[in-house]
Amino acid sequence: MSVDQDPAPSPVPRLTLFVTGTAPRSQRARGNLARMLARIGRSDLRPQEIDLLEQPREGILNSVFATPSLLKTSSTGEVSVLYGDLSDEGRLHYFLADLENGW
Amino acid sequence: MMRKTDTRLQKRETGIAGLDQVTRGGLPSGQATLVLGQAATGKTVLGLQVLARAIERGDGGVFVTFEESPAQVKRDAASFRWGAGLLQSDRWQLIDARPRLGAEVAGEFDIEGLLSIIAAAIEQTGAAWVVLDGIDQLLQYQPEPQIAIDQIRRINEHCEDRGWTLLLTGKAAGDSMAPIRFEGIEFLLSATIVLSTLMVNQQLNRSLRIAKFRGSGHVADEVPMFLDDDGIQLPYHEVPPTGGMAASIERVSTGIERLDKLLGGGIYRGSGLLISGRPGTAKSTLAGSFAQAAARRGERTLYVSFDELESAYVRNLASVGIDLRGPIETGFVRFQSLSAYASGVTAHFLALRRMLDTFDPRCLVIDPVSALFKASGIEGAAMATEYLIDLVRRRGITTVLTSLSGVLDPEGEATLGHVSTLADSWIVLDYNVRGGERNRSLSIVKSRGSAHSNQQPELVLSDKGIDLADVYEYGSEVLMGTARATKEREEIETERRRQREREHRRMELERRIEQTKRELDRLSVELELEESQSSETDRLERLHREHIKYRRDPGGESLAMHAVNDEEKHP
Repeated sequence: MSVDQDPAPSPVPRLTLFVTGTAPRSQRARGNLARMLARIGRSDLRPQEIDLLEQPREGILNSVFATPSLLKTSSTGEVSVLYGDLSDEGRLHYFLADLENGW
Repeated sequence: MMRKTDTRLQKRETGIAGLDQVTRGGLPSGQATLVLGQAATGKTVLGLQVLARAIERGDGGVFVTFEESPAQVKRDAASFRWGAGLLQSDRWQLIDARPRLGAEVAGEFDIEGLLSIIAAAIEQTGAAWVVLDGIDQLLQYQPEPQIAIDQIRRINEHCEDRGWTLLLTGKAAGDSMAPIRFEGIEFLLSATIVLSTLMVNQQLNRSLRIAKFRGSGHVADEVPMFLDDDGIQLPYHEVPPTGGMAASIERVSTGIERLDKLLGGGIYRGSGLLISGRPGTAKSTLAGSFAQAAARRGERTLYVSFDELESAYVRNLASVGIDLRGPIETGFVRFQSLSAYASGVTAHFLALRRMLDTFDPRCLVIDPVSALFKASGIEGAAMATEYLIDLVRRRGITTVLTSLSGVLDPEGEATLGHVSTLADSWIVLDYNVRGGERNRSLSIVKSRGSAHSNQQPELVLSDKGIDLADVYEYGSEVLMGTARATKEREEIETERRRQREREHRRMELERRIEQTKRELDRLSVELELEESQSSETDRLERLHREHIKYRRDPGGESLAMHAVNDEEKHP
């Protein structure tokens, strides 16, 4: 991905965080994701949040059965998943690497 | 938390007859049951079958697959007889919960989302059963095994709170019962079923064990399991709980009048007769005779022959005057030829049970039941035979089982001790070799509830059929065949001779009596004659003497005395 090639804004992958209400791990995931986005300079991104307690159907549609889970859907529709409360910074950073500004 | 106030264990039937039997009524209702087993032990089938049966009863279900694709799960279901009904029903939901390929983990996660999804599906389907198939595939992403174990517990609590009845399947690893990294979960839930497979003599033997069932009686043994088009079955544990038929006092003919007589009128209706003997002792002939007699009474017989084809079997019986062809054609005899080696003992047992179900016979012949001992199977032929005898007895089917015994063990005790114990009657056929002949003998070793002969008559086969000949006891020996015939002829001859001798003797005596009588008459006459002669002599003598006396002394009487004395003085 290069900033000086395409004048049109390069399509940014979409982030979806699946949670279950205010469960501690879901809460932690929210915090960890927000912190990492800030660290990589993408506080502008507002990940979509889906609460499976309220929208269980979304879990089936997106094949997400563990919460919290972070889904990253690329412009081509490719989906990557990161399970867990995102407390593993290294993995989270790597997962979000293609969103990082300054490349 | 909303705990149920009724703490008594409630059970929900699985609809798998054998499983409901070994669990004494089903699995815990409103709780989770763990089903563990290695790959291809039937865990998924168990889950699908439970759902299919529930749907047949009008309930709903939810099946969550964590490992196989929904298409694969449907193919699995479609391969069973109950599959079509399941696949056509809209009262269940199949949820694809396979973890996404390439998913990574960055911390601990919850399963509340899963439970929420399931809750929604249950609401839609009115599910009575929920199956989480291969949940270890999801939980293995948990960084700490302890968290996964806690979540299994969490699922169970959720079931209890919501009243869900759930099957949780997991793949056991290696020799361990529990999935990899989850050691200990097999004891976490109140009920755990372990499925396993074992190769024995190139044949797959499946088994099911209830490793744990808290608060409920259950069969704790590893029980043989069978998987075929009907799905999972526990062939030996599908006996209806009813006690079976009342003991009959009706006698059923063996087709051999004299044998019936020895048995006290035949064998009891619904009882089992074991006929054992070495090869060629006419076991099949006796069995055929029984089936023929049943057909003549208008009763159906299921005739199972191991390792012999129908045509040869029927021909051989025809040569000794037993007609099975006719009853086979009229439908009174269903002849079934099975290959002992072709499948395991459990498969044979199941096949026999199915035939009993479909044909519903009054009589059963298995010739020879000992062939089951050739078929492989860890469960053992002994158990299969035992269950078979129990099954037919409960159904009131009169049964003849034959058993091949070895030369050194004509009664077959070594191999069939247990069968002979279970059979109500036991006939041992054997050879007696004497005078260059083999003659068949029959002895009734046991006949429960009957006064029976202790004799060992000869079994005589001819083109007119089968009969028993009286034994000829000669001292301590029992004679048969030509020896018997010879001895019989000798006996008749001896008797005749004895009769003749007796007649001679009688005639001789009569003759002598006659002779003696005549002698008596003669002597009597002689006596009379003699007496009459004597009296005449006496008279003449007297006359003579008087004459002399007179001559000597014509005047006086005293002279006579004197005269005598005188005579003595003067001889």
